[in-house]
Amino acid sequence: MKKKVLLALALITISAMMVLVASPSTEKRETTRLRFIDVSPSPTRQEYFTNTFEKFKQETGITVVYESVPWDDAANKLTVLGASNQLPDVMTTWAGWLGQFTEAGWVVPLADYIGNTKSEYASTVTELVWKAEQELYGNIYTIPDGMMVKGVFVRKDWAKEAGLNLDMKKGWTYSDYFDAVYKLTDPSKNRYGTSFRGSRGAFDPLFVYLTSLNGGSAYAQDGSTLLANQEAIDAYKRWMALYLDGCAPRDAINWGFVEMVDNFCGGLTGTLINDSEVAATCLANMEDHQWMVMPMPRSDKDGKIYNTVNAPYAYSISSTSKNKDAAWKLIEFLTRPDNNIEYCKLTGLIPIKTAVGNDPFYGPDGPYAAFVQQLNDPDMVVPVAFGPFNFTDMHQGMMHEEMQKYLLGRQTAETSLLNVVRELERRMKRYLAENPGSSVEQPKGLL
Amino acid sequence: MKNHTIQRYLGNFARGLILLFFLLVVLVPIYWMVITSFKTNAEIINTQEITYFPRTVTTDNYVQLFRLYDYRSMLANSLIVSVSTGLCVTFLSILGGYGLARYSFRGKDTMLLFFLVTQMIPGILVIIPLYVIFAKLGLINTRLSLFIFYVIANLPFCAITMRSFFERIPYTLEEAAYVDGCSKLKSLITIVLPVMFPGIVAVFVFAFIGAWNELIAGTIFINTSDLWTVPVGLKSLIGKYDVRWGVLMAGGVCALLPTAIMFAFMQKFVVEGLTSGAVKE
Amino acid sequence: MGILVFYLALIAVACAFGIVFINKRTGKKSLFRVSNSMQRKAEPYLFLLPVMLLLLLMFGYPLINSFIMAFQNYKLTSPGRIYFNGLENFRNLLSETDISLIIANSFAYVVISVLGQFILGMTLAMALNKQFPFRGIYQALVFLPWSFSAFVIGLMHRWSFNGEYGVVNDVLLRLNIISSKIAWLGTPGFSLAVVIFAMIWMGIPFFAIMILAALQSIPKDVYEASYIDGCGPLRRFFKITFAYIKPTVIVTILLRTIWIFNSFDLIVIITNGGPANFSQTLPSYMYTKAFSSYDFGLASALGVLLMVTLVVYVTVFLKITKYNKAGNF
Repeated sequence: MKKKVLLALALITISAMMVLVASPSTEKRETTRLRFIDVSPSPTRQEYFTNTFEKFKQETGITVVYESVPWDDAANKLTVLGASNQLPDVMTTWAGWLGQFTEAGWVVPLADYIGNTKSEYASTVTELVWKAEQELYGNIYTIPDGMMVKGVFVRKDWAKEAGLNLDMKKGWTYSDYFDAVYKLTDPSKNRYGTSFRGSRGAFDPLFVYLTSLNGGSAYAQDGSTLLANQEAIDAYKRWMALYLDGCAPRDAINWGFVEMVDNFCGGLTGTLINDSEVAATCLANMEDHQWMVMPMPRSDKDGKIYNTVNAPYAYSISSTSKNKDAAWKLIEFLTRPDNNIEYCKLTGLIPIKTAVGNDPFYGPDGPYAAFVQQLNDPDMVVPVAFGPFNFTDMHQGMMHEEMQKYLLGRQTAETSLLNVVRELERRMKRYLAENPGSSVEQPKGLL
Repeated sequence: MKNHTIQRYLGNFARGLILLFFLLVVLVPIYWMVITSFKTNAEIINTQEITYFPRTVTTDNYVQLFRLYDYRSMLANSLIVSVSTGLCVTFLSILGGYGLARYSFRGKDTMLLFFLVTQMIPGILVIIPLYVIFAKLGLINTRLSLFIFYVIANLPFCAITMRSFFERIPYTLEEAAYVDGCSKLKSLITIVLPVMFPGIVAVFVFAFIGAWNELIAGTIFINTSDLWTVPVGLKSLIGKYDVRWGVLMAGGVCALLPTAIMFAFMQKFVVEGLTSGAVKE
Repeated sequence: MGILVFYLALIAVACAFGIVFINKRTGKKSLFRVSNSMQRKAEPYLFLLPVMLLLLLMFGYPLINSFIMAFQNYKLTSPGRIYFNGLENFRNLLSETDISLIIANSFAYVVISVLGQFILGMTLAMALNKQFPFRGIYQALVFLPWSFSAFVIGLMHRWSFNGEYGVVNDVLLRLNIISSKIAWLGTPGFSLAVVIFAMIWMGIPFFAIMILAALQSIPKDVYEASYIDGCGPLRRFFKITFAYIKPTVIVTILLRTIWIFNSFDLIVIITNGGPANFSQTLPSYMYTKAFSSYDFGLASALGVLLMVTLVVYVTVFLKITKYNKAGNF
């Protein structure tokens, strides 16, 4: 009898749980509802967006639902959403995904929406980001949320000890940079010169270095690679020597972003090449006298600074959205100068509209000085991207795997480099053949 | 007689050593997690020096976890989904396990094979079609979607396990009950289940934990952060460039508590529910 | 939404009633062997109906779909161009340069992890089988590794085994076991070892709990009889203990092997398959490939290969361990 009672109780509990489970925690249906997904959520961002969406609702009456997915799984989630035609109306996207998204037809061209307001945007946006998108994909697909530029973070205190004279305004060349890395390496003090990245993304800074020897280009007009000559191989070896000569810990062969930044802030490495976003981490974890930012090194060949400029979480509209016009309104609202500068200050980015004016936060004495300086430098050139085709599988695989094989001594430098650039060349040529009328992307300057 | 005593002491000594070994193996990483959750971020990432006890003990991480990251709702979501899953799976696998164990019928082996095959299907190949189905049913971004997925994901294993537990109970027990005039169902509930209790509890625990720890479905089926389960919420602490180690460890430690409590009580129920079985020495 | 709730509840209740109903009709006869009555024939199916229905609904379609996609050129980036391409996906798979390394890693990973978990789990279960003070609290602690999410464990290990600021190197150095730091995650062989270590740590409680539950259901009288007969401890272990828990052990090893073979989250988190694919296994490779190349035909082909391998393994394993005979005694 007791057991039957227990069984009945169990069934009741189950039903109760099911009811609890089935109860949603959301929302009533309203006329226009937009879904917005944030691919790099944090309490700060969530608070900012929810507040901004409230303001938006008061102004336009459109409700926006804030969805988010942890950064690590963001690419995968967007893939699943895209494959099942469930993409949110407005997405924050990383530039590296655009090749896939445009190929799969998941994002909407925005040139018509932008129309005449193009002049409101800073030249970094129009001349660099949008020009690149038009060359690569034939149209503009994203509105940047803020501009992000790379710089070299350096341990100011170590540099002083090593007698290095680093002047942010003057800048430096790649030879200076390599020199500094070797000088900052001091095994006796457990110090390494550089946060060498060996895992995913390792090829990115190396690619920039290689293109700096070719004026920022990687392909000739017919698609054949410019990075397969002896000069490139020598440069490849010089870059990898940083690891092989012990300027980075042995572990670095498998380092990702997290390890790089952690080790710089934690006092193990002396330099770190990374985006301006990292400045916020440094501000939070290090003292002012410990770090500084140098602009990216100038090419030894033509003295120009080769640097990538992009928006980390640019806004785009999904092609399956049923409220494209409302979605555009939201993007417009988010990129309004007052909202944009508030957002950029929170996230460590550089504003995208010219109306921003001269905010001292971005002035020559602020933490972002080196980045702003580069953006205003007439000698800054943005090298080409890997290509308009889908290269994500290479980025997740062979690009860094080939480097690792060389570092482990299993392959020659020549083989490692050629494997990658030849594959890029193959894909570029196929893209040109399949898309008549398209041409190879050119490096871009601001002026 | 003396031989026996020495043997017993040796046995106990060896047993004690083994227990100590496992305790250390388990506790050392957990200790590390706990002290990390009480360290400041600067101390955590300090690469020049590793501290084995926080220099400055701070509860900042926990405060942030609950205030800033809304850990309470994550815990609630996880608990609701996991308990429901555990109950439902246990119930269904008792039925299924009994059927598989006590009967010989056509298609039994195929059924078993099918159960096993479901365990072999790589997750991502299941999640995408399932996502489409759930979207059509309007189940996306609900706890129900997770509940359904977890029940189905954990069911085959639990059914098979329950079957193996059933098989160990000699049929003579039930036979005796039939002779006394019990119906099949009554004998199942009054005779077999009590003996099976350790197994049932084990299965519930496994189903619960299977749901508690799951990450991928939680990321894919849930869109808004108020419905995040604990693993998904903790994953959001991994940013592009930095990991909030302290808060992450605090979250991990807190996530242990429900399961730790369950494990403690599991033993209690197991001992109390036994009618025959504990080894007396 | 509510529809599904009712549907599930309905199935459960219907089955319960069905069983009760049939019981009342057929009386108290023994039903161990299949008899002629239709209703009796239907009983096992009724018990299994809810389970099978749910499984078929959710796994059936993806399973069939995966088999079809494995033979198709199915890329998310070209949704208009889906066509059958025979064995091309499989050929592409096998022509991956590091495929033999990845396969070797997969086997090493599975075999060592399962063996490690089994031996250690069994030892722990046997040690726990006797009452001792604070056993409840001890159990609450020692089973904890199972209650961590894989990614938390992965992160912890990634951090602890870091060559520079990791705890493991620090401890080993202090104890003078090594003289210079080991780059755990950056050295081929070691990176896989770290993943295996993490997997074993996580999986011991599973084996321990299963075997413990089995151990504690062994009838007392059997042991008592063996004492009276003057049985030695070793013989007692093999003839009685092991024989009783054999079905559980077989099931546990079987399932754990399948799960570990298919698991990739630890690898992706700790080493990302590196360096140079030295800790990459087939499932982690498939996971990376599927989401980076958007080639679901290829991913499905790999998935099919994995499933076929596992089916072969299961069949062979069950035959060898004579599982079907082990249950009856």
